[in-house]
Amino acid sequence: MNELILILAQTGTRETPLAAAISEGLSLGAIYALLAMGFVIIFKATQVLNFAHGALAGLGAFLVASFATLINFPGRYLPESVPQWLSWTLSALCALIAAALVGMILERVFIRPMIGEELFAVAIVTLGIDIALRNVTNDFIGTDPRPLGDPWGLNILDLGWITFAHTEVAQILVSIVLVSAVALFFRTKTGIAMRATAFDQEAARAQGINVGRIFSISWAIGAVMAAVAGIFVSVYPRRAAGVDPSTAFFAFKALPAIILGGLDSVGGAVIGGFAIGIAEAFVGEFVRFDFLGSGFAGIVPYLLMLIVLIVRPYGLFGTEEIRRV
Amino acid sequence: MRVKSRWLALLLVLGLVLAACGGDSGTEDDDAGTTTTTAASGGETTTTAGETTTTAGGEEPMEIATDFGVDLEAGVIRVGMLSDLTGPFGPLVSAILAGAQAYWDDVNANGGIEGLEVELVVRDTVYVVDTHIQYYNEIKDDVVAIGHSTGSPHTVALNADLQADGMLAIPLTWYSGWSDSDINANLVSHGTPYCIEAMNTIGYITSEVLDGATTIAIASLPGDYGQDSAAGAKLAAEALGLEVVYDGEGAIIPSDESSLTTVASEIVEAQPDLAWVATTPGTFSSIFGQALEGYSGMWSGPSPAWSPAYVAPGSAISDAITERFIGGTYTAGWTSEGAEAFHGLFTDAGLPVSDYYFEGVVEAKILEAALRQAHANGDMTRQGVLDAAKSLDNVSFDGIAPDESYTGADNDRVQRQGYIYRPDPEGLAAGTSGGRMDLEAFYTSDIAANYEFTGACYDLAG
Amino acid sequence: MRGRPLLHTSYEADQSILNTTTKKVVMALFLGFLVLLPFTGGAESSGERLFDFSIPFVGFLSSNDYLQLLATVCIFAIGALGLNLLTGVAGQVSLGHSFFMGVGAYTAVWLGAPEGPLLGLGLPIWIWLPAAGLVPAAIGLLVGPTAVRVRGLYLAIVTLGLVFIGEYVFRNWRSLTGGSQAGRSFQELDVRLWKEETPLIEISQDGAWASTNGKGFLMLLVLLIVFTVIAKNLQRSRAGRAFQAIRDRDVAAEVMGVDEFRYKLLAFGISSFYAGVAGALLTAFLGRTIPERWDLILAVQFIAIILIGGAGTVSGTLMGSAFVIMLPRVVQNGTEWLRAAIEEGGFIATIADPIVVTDPTDGGIINTLPGVGPGLSVLQANQVLYGLLIIGFLIFEPLGLYGIWLRIRNYWKGWPFTY
Repeated sequence: MNELILILAQTGTRETPLAAAISEGLSLGAIYALLAMGFVIIFKATQVLNFAHGALAGLGAFLVASFATLINFPGRYLPESVPQWLSWTLSALCALIAAALVGMILERVFIRPMIGEELFAVAIVTLGIDIALRNVTNDFIGTDPRPLGDPWGLNILDLGWITFAHTEVAQILVSIVLVSAVALFFRTKTGIAMRATAFDQEAARAQGINVGRIFSISWAIGAVMAAVAGIFVSVYPRRAAGVDPSTAFFAFKALPAIILGGLDSVGGAVIGGFAIGIAEAFVGEFVRFDFLGSGFAGIVPYLLMLIVLIVRPYGLFGTEEIRRV
Repeated sequence: MRVKSRWLALLLVLGLVLAACGGDSGTEDDDAGTTTTTAASGGETTTTAGETTTTAGGEEPMEIATDFGVDLEAGVIRVGMLSDLTGPFGPLVSAILAGAQAYWDDVNANGGIEGLEVELVVRDTVYVVDTHIQYYNEIKDDVVAIGHSTGSPHTVALNADLQADGMLAIPLTWYSGWSDSDINANLVSHGTPYCIEAMNTIGYITSEVLDGATTIAIASLPGDYGQDSAAGAKLAAEALGLEVVYDGEGAIIPSDESSLTTVASEIVEAQPDLAWVATTPGTFSSIFGQALEGYSGMWSGPSPAWSPAYVAPGSAISDAITERFIGGTYTAGWTSEGAEAFHGLFTDAGLPVSDYYFEGVVEAKILEAALRQAHANGDMTRQGVLDAAKSLDNVSFDGIAPDESYTGADNDRVQRQGYIYRPDPEGLAAGTSGGRMDLEAFYTSDIAANYEFTGACYDLAG
Repeated sequence: MRGRPLLHTSYEADQSILNTTTKKVVMALFLGFLVLLPFTGGAESSGERLFDFSIPFVGFLSSNDYLQLLATVCIFAIGALGLNLLTGVAGQVSLGHSFFMGVGAYTAVWLGAPEGPLLGLGLPIWIWLPAAGLVPAAIGLLVGPTAVRVRGLYLAIVTLGLVFIGEYVFRNWRSLTGGSQAGRSFQELDVRLWKEETPLIEISQDGAWASTNGKGFLMLLVLLIVFTVIAKNLQRSRAGRAFQAIRDRDVAAEVMGVDEFRYKLLAFGISSFYAGVAGALLTAFLGRTIPERWDLILAVQFIAIILIGGAGTVSGTLMGSAFVIMLPRVVQNGTEWLRAAIEEGGFIATIADPIVVTDPTDGGIINTLPGVGPGLSVLQANQVLYGLLIIGFLIFEPLGLYGIWLRIRNYWKGWPFTY
C-alpha cells in the first residue's frame, strides 16, 4: 500500500495554472450564471429582488439528496435493469418539481399580498423568507452533510492540456441549455406576458394578462434555477460531501453578477456570472501576494461590482430608470 | 423653558447614574451568601417526649456547603452546557451532547451523585461569541459548573468571568493553551490538544503507512483550531525532517469558495507525500474533491475535519477517501475496544450509531469525578467543585479515553495519547460503526512523546 | 390650556417630543423604573444591591442576565437609530450597517485597548468612543458618493458588498483584530481621565450598590437617551424634513430645492456614526469580538429591528430593538414553560403537545431535548419565528410595533366610541 500511494502521487495528472484557472472559472461562472438567471427571471416578472434565492438553492439540493438517496424515489419502484444515471435523473426531476411547487407556494402566500408595495419592502419580505426557509432546511439536513448520490462521480474529462470533471461539463452544458430555454421562453406568449407584467402590472392586467399566473410561473422557474445551481454547488468538486448549511450562502456571490449585468437583463446575468466566475478564478490562481492575506479572490466580485457601478449605476446591461416626478 | 426642563431632567438622570457608579470603586463583591444544609445521609432524627434521639447509624450527618446550582432538598445538581448546536460544529456537538445526556441519564438511574440527580441546562450558542457570553450570564446563577463550553475564542472570552465567579468549565475544544496553567485556572482540558494530535497522526502515518515520505503540505482554517493544528504539523515535520512544500496555515476561509480552490491547487502544485488539512467537514470535502484530479497522495487531518458523510452511501468521494485518508482523534469511536460497554446506553436512548457520543461521556465522567470529590469534601459550591476538579489526579474513562490528571506540571500532565483511525464505509453502511475504524488506541508517536510542552503551540493573542 | 391636551398655541409646542402631560408622566415613570432597576433585587442572590426589595411583576428584570440583555438592547437601539435615519427616514436601504459597526469597534479597540502584542494605545473612553463614531462616519462619507449614485435595490447590494469586503479586511488585519476565529479581548467601559489613572466611574467591577451588568446598563441607558434625543431632534430639523422628502420622491425633493447629494451623504455619515458607536459599545460591553461578528446576519438583524419596530419612527426603533433582542429569551422561556405544562398535564398540555418535543419518539415543532432529535432546536425555532415576523409585519402592519401601539392608543383615546 505504501509504495502504491507514493507511485500514485507522482503520476497524478497536472494542469498548467492557466488551464486550471480556465476550467475553474468556467465552472464557477456557470454556477453564478445559473444563480443570477434565477434572480433576474423573478425580478423581470415581478420586480422582486429575491433574497431567498440562496435558501431555495439549499432546499433544492436537499430535495435532490432526499429523493435520490434517502427515500430513493422513484428508483425503488423501477426494475433493477434501469441504469443508475436514469433513476437519479428521474429523482432529480421529481425534486425540481417539488422545488417549483415550493416556489409557487411561497409566492402565493408571502409575495402576492405585497403586490403594489414598495420594491424595497418586498425585497425585505424575501429576506424574511430566506431566514425562515434556511433554518427549516438546515434542520432537515440535520447533523452531517447529505450526499446527492449523483451519477457523475469523480470522472474526469481529459482534453489534453485542460481537464474538466464530468460535473463541471454537466454544469456548463446545463447552464447553456437553460439560458437558451429562458431566452426562447421570453419569446413565447407567456414570456411576452411576463415582460409586459414587469413593465407595468396594472396595464398588463388591463390587457387581459393573468398577472397572478405570471407571478406563479416566474417563481416556479426561479426556484428550479436555484435548485439546479444548488445541485452543482453540492457535488464534486465543490462540496463532495454533499449539501450542508453553507450551500445556501453561495447565492450571495451571484449578486455582483446581476449588478454587473443589470438586474433586468438575462443576457447580462449570464455574461456577468461568467465574468465574475472567471475573474475570481484567475485572481485566485495568479494574484498571490502575502500582503493580500487569504480570501482576496473571494471579494473580487464585489470589488468589480463597485467599480462597474461607479461608471454605470445601472450595471452594464441594465435599463436606466427614467425619473419622473 | 420647556427645553430647559427637559435637559434638567436628563442631567438629573445622568447625575444619579454617576453617583451610583462612582461611589463604589474598589469594593470587592462576594458571591451570594453561601447556604449550608444538612444532608440526611443515613441519619434519622426522631423526637419522643422530652428527649431527642439521633440514630446516626454509625455515621455523622455530613454538612454540605452549596451556593449555586445544587439543591439538596430537591436532590438536583444543575450543570450548564454551552453547546454549538446549529452553528458550524453543530453536527459534532449535537451528538456529543446526546452522548453526555445518555450518560447522565444512566448515572441518575443508578443513584446519581450520592443521591443527587444531575440535570443539564443547555444553551445553543451557534458558535457566536456574544451569544456565548449572554447565555453564560443567563445560566451562571442556576448551575454549579459548565459541562462544556464550545469554541476557543468563546471560552477565552468567558475566562475572566469564570475566574470572577469561581466557576469550573470543561472546554469543548482541544486548543493546546488549555493545558497551560497560566490560562486554565478554571478549566479542565481533556484529550490530546490539536497540536499534539497532529504530531501523533503524522508520526503514525510516516512510520506505519508512508515509509520514506519526504514532503508534507499543510493547510488550515485561521484561528485556534486550525492554526494550533497547523503549528503541531509543522513541529512534526521539523522533527521528522519532512519538507513543508506548501504552508497554507490560516488559508482556508469557509465563507470564501475561492480560498478552497486556491488551497486545492497549491496542494496539486506542491505534490506532497502527505496533505494535512485542518478544517471543517464541508470545506475538507471541497478541497479534497478539487485536488483529487491532480494529486493522488495521502490525506490526513485532525478530528473535526472528519465526517462520516464522506463515506456515507451516495458519497462520490467514498472510495477515494477510504483509500487515502487516515485521521487522528481523542476518544473512542463506536467500534473501539472498550466502547461496547457503552453501546447499550445509546441504543436504549434511541440514538443512531455514531462515533461522537464518547466525547460527551468523557466530559460527563470528568465532571462526575469532580462532583463526587466535591461531595466527599463537603463543599459543593462552585468554588468547591472547581477545587475538587483541580485536585483530581487520575480520572479514568473505562477504556474509552486515556486517563487524565489535573495536578502536577503542565508538561507531565498534557495528554499525549490518542486514537488513529481509518474510514469504514462498510461498517457505516451496515450500521455497525459510526464510519471510523481504529488502527491504534492510546497511541503516542515518538515526536509527541518527546515534545516538551511549554505553552500553547499557537498563541491566541489579546 | 388645561383639559385640551391637543391644543397647541405655538409651533414649538406642536413639535415638542413629549407634547402631552400624560406622555411626560409615563416617560418619567418609565425612565425612573429603568434607572431604579439595577439597584433593586438585592435579596435574590444577584449580588450586592442598594435595595433589597424587587419591583413587583417585573422585578425579575433586575437579575444580572436580564440586565445584560437590557444593556444589549440599549446598544442595538443606538445602532438601529442610525439605520432608521438612513433607511426609515431618508429611504436609503443599507445592508452594510454591520460593516460600519465593525469599523467603529476596531477603531475603539485600537485606541482603547491596552498596549500589548496587538495594536492598542490604551486611551480613555472619552477619546475612543467619539472616535469610534467619527472614523466610520468618515468612511461613510467616502463611500457615500458611489452609494448616492445608485438607487433602490442596487444600493442594497452595494452596501451588502461592503460587508463582505469589510469582513475580508478584518480577517486579515491580524495585528488589529486578532484574526479570524481568534479575535481579541477589549473590556473597557470604565471612565478614566487618562491612561493608567484609577477610574472615575468604574463599570468593570461589581459594586456595593449595583453589579457590573447593572452599571453597564445604566451607562448605556444614558448614552441611548442622549442618542435618542439627538436622533429625534434631527428628525424634526431641516435635515430631517429633507431626508423625508428624498425618501418620498427624490426627484420632487430636488425640484423643491433639496440638495439630494448633500443630504444623502449626510444621512450616510450620521448613520455610520451611530453604527460605529454601537459596534464599539457592543465590543467593550461584551469583552471580546471576532472578525466574523460583523457579518450580513447582523446587518439583516438591524433591518429587522427597524421594520418590526416601525420604519421612520424613533419610538418604533426602540421597541423593535427590545423586541428582536428579547425574542430568543421569550422563545426559550416559552418553550420551557410549555414543556413544564406538558409534564403537569391539563388543558395547556393538549395545546403544547404538538408544539414541543418531549422525547425522541414524540412529534412536534420545537425540540427541547439536548442533542440530536426531531424538530427545530429552540434557536432555530427562534430564527424561523423571526423570519416569519419580518414577513408578517411587512404584510399586515407596515408601521410595525409603532403602528400597533398607535392603534391601541387611538382605540382608548376615543373609547367608548370607535372614532
